[in-house]
Amino acid sequence: MPRTTTLECSGCPPLRALTFDALGLIKVVEARDVQRGVPQVVERWGDPESAKCVTAVSMIDRSSHPLLAVARKNNRIDVLSPINGDVQATISDAHDLNIISEENNIVGLHLFAKQNLELASRDCTLLSCTTKGNASIRSVEFADSSTGSSCIDSPKTWNVCSGGNILCSKVDGNENFALFGGKGVEINIWDLKNFTKIWNSKSPPKDSLGIFTPTWFTSATFLMKDDHRKFVAGTNSHQVRLYDISAQRRPVLSFDFRETSIKALAEDIDGYSIYVGNGSGDMASFDIRTGKMLGCFSGKCSGSIRSIVRHPDLPVVASSGLDSYLRLWDIKTRQLLSAVFLKQPVMHVLFDSNFIVNGPCKEQTQPEIMVSEEVEVSPLKRKKTSRNKEHMIDGSERKKRSKQSKDRKNSEENDGHENIASRDKKSKSASKKKNKSPIPGL
Amino acid sequence: MGGKRKKSDGDEAEEAESSMKKSRIKEKKEQLLPSMIKNKEKRSEVHAKLKRQKKLDKRAKAKARDAAVKRALDLGEEPPEKKVPRTIENTREFDETVCRPDDEELFAGNDADEFSSILNQQQTPKILITTCRFNSTRGPAFISELVSVIPNAHYFKRGTYDLKKIVEYAKNKDFTSVIVVHTNRREPDALLIIGVPSGPTAHFKLSKLVLRKDIKNHGTPTSHKPELVLNNFTTRLGHRVGRLIQSLFPQDPEHKGRRVVTFHNQRDFIFFRHHRYIFESKEVKKVESKGKKDKDGKSENVPEHKTVARLQECGPRFTLKLITLQHGTFDTKGGEYEWVHKPEMDTSRRRFFL
Repeated sequence: MPRTTTLECSGCPPLRALTFDALGLIKVVEARDVQRGVPQVVERWGDPESAKCVTAVSMIDRSSHPLLAVARKNNRIDVLSPINGDVQATISDAHDLNIISEENNIVGLHLFAKQNLELASRDCTLLSCTTKGNASIRSVEFADSSTGSSCIDSPKTWNVCSGGNILCSKVDGNENFALFGGKGVEINIWDLKNFTKIWNSKSPPKDSLGIFTPTWFTSATFLMKDDHRKFVAGTNSHQVRLYDISAQRRPVLSFDFRETSIKALAEDIDGYSIYVGNGSGDMASFDIRTGKMLGCFSGKCSGSIRSIVRHPDLPVVASSGLDSYLRLWDIKTRQLLSAVFLKQPVMHVLFDSNFIVNGPCKEQTQPEIMVSEEVEVSPLKRKKTSRNKEHMIDGSERKKRSKQSKDRKNSEENDGHENIASRDKKSKSASKKKNKSPIPGL
Repeated sequence: MGGKRKKSDGDEAEEAESSMKKSRIKEKKEQLLPSMIKNKEKRSEVHAKLKRQKKLDKRAKAKARDAAVKRALDLGEEPPEKKVPRTIENTREFDETVCRPDDEELFAGNDADEFSSILNQQQTPKILITTCRFNSTRGPAFISELVSVIPNAHYFKRGTYDLKKIVEYAKNKDFTSVIVVHTNRREPDALLIIGVPSGPTAHFKLSKLVLRKDIKNHGTPTSHKPELVLNNFTTRLGHRVGRLIQSLFPQDPEHKGRRVVTFHNQRDFIFFRHHRYIFESKEVKKVESKGKKDKDGKSENVPEHKTVARLQECGPRFTLKLITLQHGTFDTKGGEYEWVHKPEMDTSRRRFFL
């Protein structure tokens, strides 16, 4: 019997994703069918050029006037409209003294959404951070016509680190705090209102052999939208660490994942599960409260994962990386929904959550089919919700079980020998309890 | 069963017996496979018979086919179409990453990649060859041949240097790639090709190494720049590996030297061969008798002397298989892979990556 590799790609719900690749192209991938759609590249913005390689992206994802900022290798930031790809403003890093060194790329970029509500699409504020640690906040005003030059207010710049290379930067959900970390840089958290460093992490102690692993953070993400105190960081020494600002400066919890460096981290909206991708193309989801692996996403992913994004509404996770595929996964089953070949190594991927399918209605005006599809859709949705409930129940049960087992373990340890490891465990469990407290429900 | 009866029966009944057996076997052939017989002696006997029958059938078929071709030629008709055997390569699974010549993004990507400066002849390749820490017998012999194959290659003793240090050294000395020959149990078994300023790192498994002196009627190559043949690198990954290999050789071959270096990809195995070729004029006497039959018009046009290409193998012969392709230079700890072979990818024999 010849074995074949036809993966049962079940297709994905209607969604729209933007991918950013090594040649500076922005590709729009859309799945249009209401049910089991096959995502396809529908648009391509920009011309292929190696100097335009995308290094960082940020998007304000809202229904009216969404904005997209793209930082490129030649230290230019383009502000685009994610709907049609029109360039609204271009900022070249003129203020910088270190422009000459090509090493000093922009690695972190964030568009502030909150301040913009009253001013609509007139201007935007963005935070950028370079490899050398030059962070700056500037606001950009768009000229009336897209061709006109944009006025830039005086940027507020400061230095995040004295040495080393910044590799990851994130801004929390309320946009008051930002974290920076990298190679040789412990994670710093800055208050963005008065530009002061409020916290920095401390490297974990030497291990039992007296070996100190050098600091090298490759990715980080805040765990919850409205809480800046907890965040997860991935290191080059394939470790995932959970930090809690309110607890201690050393990691509250840390665990290893496979053998290559962690390259991408993403948080789920539920606030406790995270998605981890590494340099050899393995991806898994973890429950960060316990550090237990929930499961792997396996589907012939062969290249380093550069970016993982969770869809804000649908139960879909997208991953992309050096194997130049965009892969869409189901969260619950961890099955591959579909893979799109994008021809270039993909640096980043973003979801546009305000994508509503009305394309096919216009294109194929066949009301009968639509009706039938709708009829089919509605029971599915019901099913999904019921499934969710089941999962929730399962999860809570598991939690209980794990708790019990842990208690047992702890008691055993208390009875017998006490060593450092057990102390660690205790502290971990204590921290876990702490973690659990702010999460209601479940 | 049959054997037992044979013993009990007399000699006179043997002929009848044999005919009976034949018919019985024929029945068996339709009903049960030889693998279903439990008695080993019997099983092997039936199997041998079956095999022989198959062989005869095959021969008869070939004969019939040849006869058909001959008849068609005699009558001046078109010979019957040649059948193409089904192999796992021409029934290869559909792969969307196969390069197409009309893909403009591919060429844009080519212009932007690490090898473009070498392949556009803005830079001449300069290769550093080194080994693993322990190296003896076949390793040095292989390296000396590799140095003779690749122009502008320099062998450096490994010593006790870290590979990262060596890469750093190569960067400073303007080398364009580093080749590391890894030896295990005195037999070269892996090849690492590192593109130096920023290029990728390819890790190959090396097998079936035959050195020059073990090849019969081998030639000794000259020091001319060789021509390069890269066969069958079809997918994006294959294309990239092909370009990596291409960047080892100078892009301006000296045709006077008549040296060819071939990297032939077949089923993800890359076969390396090194040949010297020669064009000889040969009398067509023997060929003519066949040529007449082939195409009547052609045999008249062909002059009495015909040029024939002859090959002489020289240099080593080995097979490579890609294990990993790493982004950036050698870094096993924090490196990012562009492609890693994982066991979960081996779900089909008809799926190839290069």
